Amino acid sequence: MALQEICGLSDAPYMKSRTHFLKSTEEEMKNSTSNIENCYSLSAPPFENPMQNLNAIQQHGEKSGIKIDFDHGTTTLGFKYQGGVLLAVDSRATGGQFIGSQSMKKIVEINDYMLGTLAGGAADCVYWDRVLTQECRLHELRNKERISVAAASKIMANIAHEFKGMGLSMGMMLAGYDKRGPGLYYVDNDAQRTPGNVFSVGSGSIYAFGVLDSGYRWDLTDEEAQELGRRAIYHATFRDAYSGGIVRVYQVTKDGWINISNTDCMELHYKYAEEKK
Amino acid sequence: MQAELARELPPAGFNFENCKRNEALINGGFLAPKTVKTGTTIAGIIFKDGVILGADTRATEGPIVSDKNCSKIHYLAPNMYCCGAGTAADTEMTTDLVSSQLALHRLNTGREVPVVCATTLLKQKLFRYQGNISAALVLGGVDLTGPTIYSIAPHGSVDKLPYTSMGSGSLAAMSVFESRYKPDMTEEEAKKLVRDAIAGGVFNDLGSGSNIDLCVIRKNKTVDYLRNYEIANRKGERTLDYSFLKGTTIVTGTKTFNLDITETVIPMEVA
Amino acid sequence: MFQQMNIQQNFPEYNIPGKQHHDFSPYESNGGSIVAIAGKGYAIIAADTRLSSGYSIHTRKQKKTFKLTDTTVLGSTGCWCDTLSLTSLLAYRMQSYVHTHQKTMSTNAIAQLISVMMYNKRFFPYYVSNVLAGLDEEGNGVVYSYDPIGHCEKTTYRAGGTAGALLQPVLDNQIGYKNQNLAEKPEITKEKAISIATDTFISASERDIYTGDSVVICIITKDGIEEKTVQLRKD
Repeated sequence: MALQEICGLSDAPYMKSRTHFLKSTEEEMKNSTSNIENCYSLSAPPFENPMQNLNAIQQHGEKSGIKIDFDHGTTTLGFKYQGGVLLAVDSRATGGQFIGSQSMKKIVEINDYMLGTLAGGAADCVYWDRVLTQECRLHELRNKERISVAAASKIMANIAHEFKGMGLSMGMMLAGYDKRGPGLYYVDNDAQRTPGNVFSVGSGSIYAFGVLDSGYRWDLTDEEAQELGRRAIYHATFRDAYSGGIVRVYQVTKDGWINISNTDCMELHYKYAEEKK
Repeated sequence: MQAELARELPPAGFNFENCKRNEALINGGFLAPKTVKTGTTIAGIIFKDGVILGADTRATEGPIVSDKNCSKIHYLAPNMYCCGAGTAADTEMTTDLVSSQLALHRLNTGREVPVVCATTLLKQKLFRYQGNISAALVLGGVDLTGPTIYSIAPHGSVDKLPYTSMGSGSLAAMSVFESRYKPDMTEEEAKKLVRDAIAGGVFNDLGSGSNIDLCVIRKNKTVDYLRNYEIANRKGERTLDYSFLKGTTIVTGTKTFNLDITETVIPMEVA
Repeated sequence: MFQQMNIQQNFPEYNIPGKQHHDFSPYESNGGSIVAIAGKGYAIIAADTRLSSGYSIHTRKQKKTFKLTDTTVLGSTGCWCDTLSLTSLLAYRMQSYVHTHQKTMSTNAIAQLISVMMYNKRFFPYYVSNVLAGLDEEGNGVVYSYDPIGHCEKTTYRAGGTAGALLQPVLDNQIGYKNQNLAEKPEITKEKAISIATDTFISASERDIYTGDSVVICIITKDGIEEKTVQLRKD
């Protein structure tokens, strides 16, 4: 037996007993779905530096036609004003050149007082927002009070930091109302986290900012604020091919969030064209 | 006057002006447009009284079928036809050009051109372009020396064979030939064999499909070009009617022009 | 025991950081298309049966729909080995759910499970196009569609696979009534949905070389899952 040990023969699969395989299969099954028990535990790829190497596989796929196109989200905006926080988003998800969906929900309801917007990789944002929802609920149960926007955004930033350099793609805003008043934070995949009054994220953000900055004041009324957000997103959908679909507007006040409107951007297009006449 | 007589002709052949630019575009991430390929199964055999050429009729652009009934057996001369596989434009242009050269040759010599002459013209052209003209050809014809089949690869190499196949379905077609070909077959037997070889490609190779074309060139100089000899695949019948009601499309705007027609048009005399 | 030799320390010239074959390509496209349509009291999901690789056909009889429960069917195409490993893992997880909770999984629970399982391989994704069809708690049809890393969206109709980009616009127009200015837009009946699914596959097999041979249509109602096969072009 000693010789087997030395030669490493006992490690060979044909030297193992049947029960060992039953166990190792079960282990493997568990490992392949490890994030069901622990959401932070994702499978490691069979190569190092996933960001670089996944791109290399992608590039090879471009030649052979086997290309993995993740759904990507697009134009989102949020701003604080006297009435609370306003969020507006489009609803288009694109996978490469293909429009994967025209009805995606890019505002995630984390709890009754907090919303998250998503831009970048749709799966990344939705998955980690779900994890955040869980963490926020646990925080409530542990501390008998609602989590602050600052703390929630810090959890998100910590997650982003954990996976930094692995190729996650997220650009999200967290908006909510806590004891410090309205809160608005921007968190992205580089683990950058900043509080602020006016944000816009995504490929159409440059167009949205143009409208947003020209119309933004702190003392906007609720109606004015909603219209400003809607119009900014509409103009982004008009100029940016990766944005479109439905313009969704949400507002967060001290009583929690409310969904103001969901309007098809074609409808808005004709409405605004009519107003111009 | 002098200039008019010795007018400078534009240089013949390909124009490479945009090669450098296109290369730069592709390096910058621009995707080059796909060329139409004839994925293709083509084949040719010699039988007792002549040769038979066969081809499928599918043309593809990547995974998409761009033509369901294209013709891949090209005319070269009254006694010669040529099947083409590869880039559709290359096979068509190459055979067209050689066909013109053969016509001129006939006018110069006043005789039927031998098949080997067409082979030489084709292989010299293909070799000159070092495989950049993506044409794999099966040339078949009848001349003084009898019936002959040549297969010409894109780089210009030539094989003279009693039976051959080319294109992405060539293996499927060749397997049929290898198992069933014998010399001096009757025309009916030979037609059936070529049909089966092409059908092998049509059904087992995704680059080939739709119908089967045949071309019979006999020693007595009669030619039967059997376009769509067999409709191997019929289009499925849809179960619903997809016509639209009038007014389904929204009219977003109308513009009316009032045209004052002052000129009277006299109809051209025909007949 | 042998001392583990440290290549990086003893042979620095052999140490190439992040060395990887430049043509490392762990995926293959095995083709195939899926169409799923949901309506009141029914859901249908159809997939062709051609399994191919490059220009050759592996088999003409590979069903790409997986019956998960009596009310849920998953359609999966792309890299077939990934489809197989994903579905076998799914079967394992669903079995373990039954043992833990003493009930079969609902369609939306399965939808979420698939999403989480696919995200687990975020850094080395399954190369699959998944569409899930089934009945919800009220017995009405639902369709969930996925991107390769588990982004999940609930819809009423969806096309996926190699002819997905060809078929989705047809469904948008015929089922979603997109760009149709009609006074009334009647609900799609089960019979009409089956006809449209069949017709889209007939058209897809005309133009997509990876779609053909035959299409298997699963019709999910509260009475169970009925299966129908329609022949397509074989070339």
